[in-house]
Amino acid sequence: MSIEQKEPQVQQPQTAATQRRYRTLAVVKQEAITRVEKPLEDSVFVWPHLLVREFFAATALTVMITLLSLVIDAPLQAPASPSSTPNPAKAPWYFLGLQELLHYFPPTSAGVLVPGFTLVALAALPYIDRNPSRAYADRKVAIVTFTMFVVFWAVITLAGSFFRGPGWLWVWPWQHIYFDL
Amino acid sequence: MSSTNKSLLDVATQKIVESQLWRSIFRHGYPDTPLNQSLVMMSNVFLHLHPVKVSRKAMKITYTWCMGGISFFLFLLLTITGVFLMFYYVPDTNVAYQNINQLSSAVSFGHLVRNMHRWSAHLMVVSVTLHMIRVFYHGAYKPPREFNWVVGVLLFFVTLFLSFTGYLLPWDQIALWAITVGTNLAPYAPLVGNPVYKVLVGGGAVSQATLIRFYVGHVILLPLAGAILMAVHFWRIRKDGGEAGPPPPSRREYETRSESERSIAAGSR
Repeated sequence: MSIEQKEPQVQQPQTAATQRRYRTLAVVKQEAITRVEKPLEDSVFVWPHLLVREFFAATALTVMITLLSLVIDAPLQAPASPSSTPNPAKAPWYFLGLQELLHYFPPTSAGVLVPGFTLVALAALPYIDRNPSRAYADRKVAIVTFTMFVVFWAVITLAGSFFRGPGWLWVWPWQHIYFDL
Repeated sequence: MSSTNKSLLDVATQKIVESQLWRSIFRHGYPDTPLNQSLVMMSNVFLHLHPVKVSRKAMKITYTWCMGGISFFLFLLLTITGVFLMFYYVPDTNVAYQNINQLSSAVSFGHLVRNMHRWSAHLMVVSVTLHMIRVFYHGAYKPPREFNWVVGVLLFFVTLFLSFTGYLLPWDQIALWAITVGTNLAPYAPLVGNPVYKVLVGGGAVSQATLIRFYVGHVILLPLAGAILMAVHFWRIRKDGGEAGPPPPSRREYETRSESERSIAAGSR
């Protein structure tokens, strides 16, 4: 991009083309300026449109949690005693997928490498997936991979939560559920 | 009486709104004009993380399912109920269990507040997870929002560890053994495993040292880390251009659509 610099003395029309000098003053990136040709989005004021929704979402959530808390009690078992190990001893529910993996693989891989890999892969995701398009049809590989990843964790978490009993043996949920929240 | 049509309430409201006290707090009129609707968002510290205007598409409930907002609201609810519980809880293995038990018998609303704290905590893990999944499917982690996704991943882990540290505090059998099983994974990590376990547990087994460590982490370190990361997270939503909004149609969809529109336009002529 260049900006024409006119010299005031040069006015002869026959030599104008050769005597004009050009100098690059600045390069302005397209996204750095307001593009008027970009149509303005259909937008509304946050007050009241968004704030009303947030208020109702917050109120509804508070009512729901209060009702839930009136109906269902948080569990409290016998006082902790290091000498009596429950069978099965289960981690909190969001780690039960991990505990289920430990049943199949040695601890170094299941307990450390898989969650470590998951953490690093999740954090690095935007730098791995370089596909610039956000359209679903353009992201088939990413969507299928991520869906398989989510389903995998969901399945092993559910298995660890509801299908494992004493000795980490398979127990159907309709036989007995060994699960505490 | 017919000399004025204003009711007493109107007059009182006007007097209050025009008073120096009111005007020192609110520097704009009631937000029912575009100017005041902008000023209210910009001059209120609690509202200013929001933009003044928001795209109608990005605001649709079915677009976000409110999951990020719900996660944040659960965090607030957990802070309030958590501070309430802190008045009655002592992180001492001899009395911790009794303290929790007495919430149900000796503390007004103690039972209800503990239930709310517990269920909100579980729901927050769920809502943060769903928020993350939603953001992935909308491709909202793509430039310029890459780093905000990383901040979000960190917030996800802060949430998990907030829940995990809170799990130990009632000092019952569930707490002790869930944390024992969870922390027993740490030593398997190559090189750093044993030091990490020692720092986490404060000894060779889950004990008083673990309880005080988890307590401090649960009530100060992790909430503080979460609050700082949330401030960055919300700030960057604005700085990165607001909510991403629903994904655009792909190039092929766009072309076929414009073709069919052209043929419709040609047919109508």
